[in-house]
Amino acid sequence: MTETAPALELRQIRKSFGAVDVIHGVDLSIREGEFVVFVGPSGCGKSTLLRLIAGLDDPTSGDIVIKGKRVNAIPAAERGLSMVFQSYALYPHMSVRQNLSFGLENLRMERAEIDRRVDAAAKLLQIDHLMARRPGQLSGGQRQRVAIGRAIVREPVVFLFDEPLSNLDAELRLQMRVEISQLHDQLGNTMIYVTHDQVEAMTMADRIVVLRGGRIEQVGAPLDLYNHPANRFVAGFIGAPQMNFLKGALDGRTLRLDSGMVRDVPVAQAGSLPVTLGVRPEAIGVSLDGHGDVQVVVKNFEQLGSVTYIYTAFPNGETLTVQLPRQIPLTRGQTIGVTFDAASFHLFGGEGDRALPMNR
Amino acid sequence: MSRAITFLTRTRGSFDRAERFGISDFLAYAYLIFGVLIILVPVLWTVMSSIKPQRALDNFDTRVLPYAQVQQEVPGRGLRDVFIHTAPDGTETEVVRAGPARAVSDVAPLDDPAAVFQAPREELRPAEDMRVAVENYLDPILQRNGQENFAFWRYLWNSVFVTVAATVITLVINAMAAFALAKYQFRGRLTFTLLIVATLLIPSSIILVSLFFVVWTFGMFGSLWGVIIPAAATPTGVFLLRQYMLTIPDELLEAARMDAASEWRIFWRIVMPLSLPALSVLAILSVIWRWNDFLWPLIVLISDPRQHTLQIGLTQFSGEFDTNLHYVLAMTVVSLIPITLVFVWLQRFITTGIATTGLK
Amino acid sequence: MTPAAMLMAAIGLLWVGGGTIWLLSRRSYRLWQVPQFLMDLVGFPVELAQAWFGRGGVPYALLLPNMAIFGLFTFAPMILNFYVSGTAGASISLFDRPWVGWDNYARIFNCESIFRPSTCGNEGFGYWTAMGNTLWFVAFQVPIMCVAALATALVLNMSIKGRGFWRAMFFYPVMLSPVVIANIWEWILHRRGMLNEVIGGTQGAVADLAGLNGFDLVVTVILAIVLVVVMERAIRARGDDEPSLAWTGVFAGLFAALTAWANPGSLIGLPSSLWIGVLVGAALFWLVMSGHRLARPALVAAGALAAVQLLAIQFDGVFAFDNYRPINWLVTPNTGWPFAWLVFVFCWSHMGFYMLIILAGLQAIPRDLYEAAKMDATRPVRAFWRITLPLVMPTMTVVIVLCLIRSFQVFDEVYLLTGGGPGRETFMVVQNIYESAFATNTPAYGEAAAGSVLMAVVIAVFTFFQLWITRRQSGL
Repeated sequence: MTETAPALELRQIRKSFGAVDVIHGVDLSIREGEFVVFVGPSGCGKSTLLRLIAGLDDPTSGDIVIKGKRVNAIPAAERGLSMVFQSYALYPHMSVRQNLSFGLENLRMERAEIDRRVDAAAKLLQIDHLMARRPGQLSGGQRQRVAIGRAIVREPVVFLFDEPLSNLDAELRLQMRVEISQLHDQLGNTMIYVTHDQVEAMTMADRIVVLRGGRIEQVGAPLDLYNHPANRFVAGFIGAPQMNFLKGALDGRTLRLDSGMVRDVPVAQAGSLPVTLGVRPEAIGVSLDGHGDVQVVVKNFEQLGSVTYIYTAFPNGETLTVQLPRQIPLTRGQTIGVTFDAASFHLFGGEGDRALPMNR
Repeated sequence: MSRAITFLTRTRGSFDRAERFGISDFLAYAYLIFGVLIILVPVLWTVMSSIKPQRALDNFDTRVLPYAQVQQEVPGRGLRDVFIHTAPDGTETEVVRAGPARAVSDVAPLDDPAAVFQAPREELRPAEDMRVAVENYLDPILQRNGQENFAFWRYLWNSVFVTVAATVITLVINAMAAFALAKYQFRGRLTFTLLIVATLLIPSSIILVSLFFVVWTFGMFGSLWGVIIPAAATPTGVFLLRQYMLTIPDELLEAARMDAASEWRIFWRIVMPLSLPALSVLAILSVIWRWNDFLWPLIVLISDPRQHTLQIGLTQFSGEFDTNLHYVLAMTVVSLIPITLVFVWLQRFITTGIATTGLK
Repeated sequence: MTPAAMLMAAIGLLWVGGGTIWLLSRRSYRLWQVPQFLMDLVGFPVELAQAWFGRGGVPYALLLPNMAIFGLFTFAPMILNFYVSGTAGASISLFDRPWVGWDNYARIFNCESIFRPSTCGNEGFGYWTAMGNTLWFVAFQVPIMCVAALATALVLNMSIKGRGFWRAMFFYPVMLSPVVIANIWEWILHRRGMLNEVIGGTQGAVADLAGLNGFDLVVTVILAIVLVVVMERAIRARGDDEPSLAWTGVFAGLFAALTAWANPGSLIGLPSSLWIGVLVGAALFWLVMSGHRLARPALVAAGALAAVQLLAIQFDGVFAFDNYRPINWLVTPNTGWPFAWLVFVFCWSHMGFYMLIILAGLQAIPRDLYEAAKMDATRPVRAFWRITLPLVMPTMTVVIVLCLIRSFQVFDEVYLLTGGGPGRETFMVVQNIYESAFATNTPAYGEAAAGSVLMAVVIAVFTFFQLWITRRQSGL
């Protein structure tokens, strides 16, 4: 494999609005053709980061490099990017065709070339029958396609998506998710996609960038993040239902949980410190007769047919969610036994609740 | 150095893309300052002029501060203008003219009126002092010094009465109409709405003559009610309030009906208090309209001097602009003050209120 | 007391008396509930409607006072106007007025041509002079007002510090009464008022300065430096592709002034060259605005031309003013000044209101449209023509129609400032109506009403024409 210049590089990007720091030194490198998703809770700086890349805002310090060229001083339009806005930002008084060709006309492109590109994009997105309409006469999904079309016709180096699906209903969102992924396969461009929905991130991304408070928490492929979260925040953010967290203390290789359970854990470097145990809900076994590593009380449960979610509580009040891939008979208040597999444990401790390395 | 200047003058952005306080910013602020000067200078000039003594105004003294030539009682000569005589050797004495003004005129020193000597015009300059001419205000207000015809307090009372009465009536009946249109389903609602729109389109000066007939028929001619009643129903007010009342949840009214409140009580005790923001915007608008109203009061009230409003009373002077300039300016300022105070107080409220409600 | 007044009194008596009895017979009030009782009394007809017709009757009762006033004082006069315009005489009593049919109209139209009022009879002369003046007033007033309001709103919509302050300042004159406005401006525009004083003072000072030795050289050098800086900025500003529009604007202004002073037109016998400079400047501005590829060469050429002109100007000659003779702005006939100042004062006093409406319209345009345009490489000027203007057009239509209707009815400021003079230069339609009906000893109500009807027709035609044009333009 030959090493080419990354499509986009961020070096020590900082951004502050007045006295408020929003981005604290972000370093990131994105390869050509990659689909990268920025994900994080609201206010984590993901949209700001996207706007910095787009050139709509200027970073307070740091370098933005596109294809090996520093673009800090280059205006938004000349960076070779195009952006799909959360509200689509379609020009309401122009027809779909005018919306698509407006940016190309600004570049003084030949009419024939404009028409060629617009028709190609329309065909690709199956909006060719809507070309004479105005945005106000389109449905949400159609508007979404026009907005994407407007990004496509400029044939950008990098596509930027700012929470493009958040204004759609659940069903349409699912459909557009698939379509954007297919579009990425067809076009092969680099895409940067911002969302607060971890499901979107998991399903669409080649690589996920998890942000919190203006800092990158972890970068990695979706399953990497799921299986090897770097810290407690990422562990909690990725995956639904959320990972269970149980407080305890590590003493050598012995884990003593506040709820009373004691287990030896395969931690790589033994130590003595307060820790949090993380267990995915699907990694927990259930025995209805009360046998198991520890006993919990069923507070609530959801039978979905293929899956059952059980919400339980320890005697000390800590809660535990269990996900079973089958149906079982349950009643509220019932005491059940749960079993843990130490191989599925994640331990978080120390500064920033980092994941402790495990022997697997 | 240049870096420092860049840093100091930048208005937004990063170090190297820092946009200076550019020419377009400069032109924008220049435009604004120029505009504000055009608006403020005439008003301030009028205010400053209104405190100048009559003699300064009659001489069209264009200095900003209220200077006036000193006058003094000279035994045997009566009240004379005082000049300062600068002798060729530089000594200054206060003198009065002892004869007619010529290129070289006879003057007498103040402290020794008998010692008349000759002084060329260049050696004389008026002795001036700075004095706020309160009499410009007090004479008309206290109806003295020949200003007995200007019944200031009566005009003020009429203006206040018209303004307050018209505003109260406008608020009550417009709110009633708006409540009916916003919260009831009834036959003819559309018709009534269209009728009100139609009144919006009928310019008031088109119906001057026949409105005069109507007002005369109702016996309101020459009475303040003839000014108050015809303009009490305003389409603007109805729409403004209706728009606001639409946002009041129906459940609130239903709840009151369950409590067996009559419809009028619901209107009075629930809808009116909840519409307070819109009512206060309309109140301010109504106060401005009525206080400044001119043509219609001129027609209805001109025949009876006891019924004049402040605005009409002020026009009494307009025939005597040259002779009574000091009174004209002082009374202009008096009529300007209340509206200016209201504006300074409530300017944000007024500007946003009008911007959001639109029409006048 | 007229029958109508008696009817009013009777209704009032019934309301208070009947209401008190009705309310007291059904509800009991304690002493501290007197305010509540008074309020119930005010709403007594509504209560009555609910008691008799149930809730269905309430909205009609609520609408009654408002609709009664609209009906009596807006719709009835509207219709009555037609009747009055067909009657003659000076009587106020409607039954006393003889019906004369179209006579009043005939007298107004008693002209050889209504476009030359001097060919009309008395009534026609007054009316058509006023109509002509009013149409001119509207023709100047509406475009100037709308452009000024739009420009101000656009500036205020930029990222300006202290927007609230500026907005309030521009709005302030709207709050002032016409009498106050007229007095202020009469004082400013007086023959010995501030305006003349300022002009005279400035001209005197400049003339004194121009009399000094070396004035020509100093001004030439200063302007040369300014010219070089402005040229450099204008050409260089946008880096590799386009000249800066704002600096081009500054340059165009400078160029127009230089051309006016150098007066190259005098070579072919033209009295003034200002318009040549203005035209060239505007052409340059347009070239840069449209991003034409000839913009840069044209700018350089104009710069060279400006430099030549600069060298040719004798500044001490240009600024050697004679003594300024004060102009009586509002009184001097046949100068056009009274009319121009009326347009200005009207703009001054009403611009803030329209500015606010347009500003609200501008702020309703979503910000991300401009961000999308920025990503689309849209030049600011193109963004204005293609995005801002089309989207603010509905608001502009409202503003234009309002402004049109308002300017047609102009009376207060004109009446108070010039009284229609000098001569009849600023005599407007409403003043014509007012004077023929109310300001004479022999009021001609019939003619005034006929004049009102004609004015209503003109306003309606203009309004619908305007709406029709914008509707066609926006293609909705």
